[in-house]
Amino acid sequence: MQMDPGLHKGEGYQYGPNPKQHYFSPYSMNGGTVLAIAGEDFAVVASDTRLSEGFSIHTRDSPKTYQLTNSTVLGCTGFHGDVLTVTKLLEARLKMYKNEHNRQMSTSAIAAMLSTVLYYRRFFPYYVYNIIGGLDDEGKGAVYSFDPIGSYEREAYRAGGTASSMLQPLLDNQIGFKNQEGVTKVPLSKEKAVFLVKDVFISAAERDIYTGDNIMIHVTTKDGTETEVFPLRRD
Amino acid sequence: MTERYSFSLTTFSPSGKLVQIEYALAAVAAGAPSVGIKATNGVVLASEKKHKSVLYDEHSIHKVELITKNIGIVYSGMGPDYRVLVRNARKLAQQYFLTYQEQIPTLQMVQRIANVMQEYTQSGGVRPFGVSLLIAGWDEDEERPYLYQCDPSGAYFAWKATAMGKNYINGKTFLEKRYSEDLELEDAVHTAILTLKESFEGQMTEDNIEIGICNQDGFRRLNPTEVKDYLGAIA
Repeated sequence: MQMDPGLHKGEGYQYGPNPKQHYFSPYSMNGGTVLAIAGEDFAVVASDTRLSEGFSIHTRDSPKTYQLTNSTVLGCTGFHGDVLTVTKLLEARLKMYKNEHNRQMSTSAIAAMLSTVLYYRRFFPYYVYNIIGGLDDEGKGAVYSFDPIGSYEREAYRAGGTASSMLQPLLDNQIGFKNQEGVTKVPLSKEKAVFLVKDVFISAAERDIYTGDNIMIHVTTKDGTETEVFPLRRD
Repeated sequence: MTERYSFSLTTFSPSGKLVQIEYALAAVAAGAPSVGIKATNGVVLASEKKHKSVLYDEHSIHKVELITKNIGIVYSGMGPDYRVLVRNARKLAQQYFLTYQEQIPTLQMVQRIANVMQEYTQSGGVRPFGVSLLIAGWDEDEERPYLYQCDPSGAYFAWKATAMGKNYINGKTFLEKRYSEDLELEDAVHTAILTLKESFEGQMTEDNIEIGICNQDGFRRLNPTEVKDYLGAIA
């Protein structure tokens, strides 16, 4: 492993031959991974529950999923301060919509609105990676993924966060049947989706230091949302 | 000029009335008659469009206007004030779409327009709008028609059928007798024309009335040929 011989890290101090400029960063990275899968009549949103900073763990029990309505779950990771603010804002806007419209916001409307909320801060972005999972107006599973400034798209599945580059190719292969030859494409059942989610997170926890402790899985169907917690490696 | 007036010109009289609004309502009552009728499968808006001289180019300017694909509007009162509100309403409808990626529901549109009208009764240096509006809409998700009236005060009312402008009292009495819950759109158009006829001086032709219909295909203004056909049906 490559290490700069001039720098020693001990007790929070950095010694080195070169001058180092200090500055205040408004952001920090709190790690974590989120995943959402859209089925024929269900949607799965899962996240790990570890909150970290640098090589430390703040807590092992901080889920990154937020239930917005009966039929919509939001997963967000990135800078925890902005995660909290965005979710607060969204929940407030949802309440306002409900008061004005006498009904809950649809998943597609929430997605569209989140895009505008994020773009509003185009020049000082919320450092948050969002993924919305839920049911669309026709009752089919829907997943919407976002970048920090609100670019969004509806997809069948998406992984976000620190282990996203490990999870996404796995999902491409198993759900999208990519890079496979001569396979019959079977639609994904709810049970298979949950097994897949557990497996991919276990794999991610093996290699990504920021992912681990527990997974929280939300499965949304027309009858509401069921939640399951599943243990992961704690190292 | 408006900056100098930070106080409202619409102020209370000792009896508790806002006289400016009363006067605005008088301006409406002196305006050309308009009628709105809600049927089981749609809504009709109709208005008299009498011109003072044969030199007027009758079909250049319209009273019945479209705000969105599913919402139409007509007025009684001052034309220029109406135009400002239509412009405003159209912009509000698009802003809604930009945020939620959904067409604005009729009631939401009505509330926003009514809010604008109310602002002009409580802001500095402005006067109330000299129009009452009839707003017809079809909400896609609920698959039902809506008819609302907006007054200069900012009050709004949901109607099954109503008349505004000159002779509106007679118009409403006529509608009270003629209206039934199971009127279909075709009959409603017929009834609307008859209601207009009650207060019409002279010969009613396709060039001096305007009709708009709103159903599941959206809102549209009838062209003069179609109006002529309906006129042919009345005895």
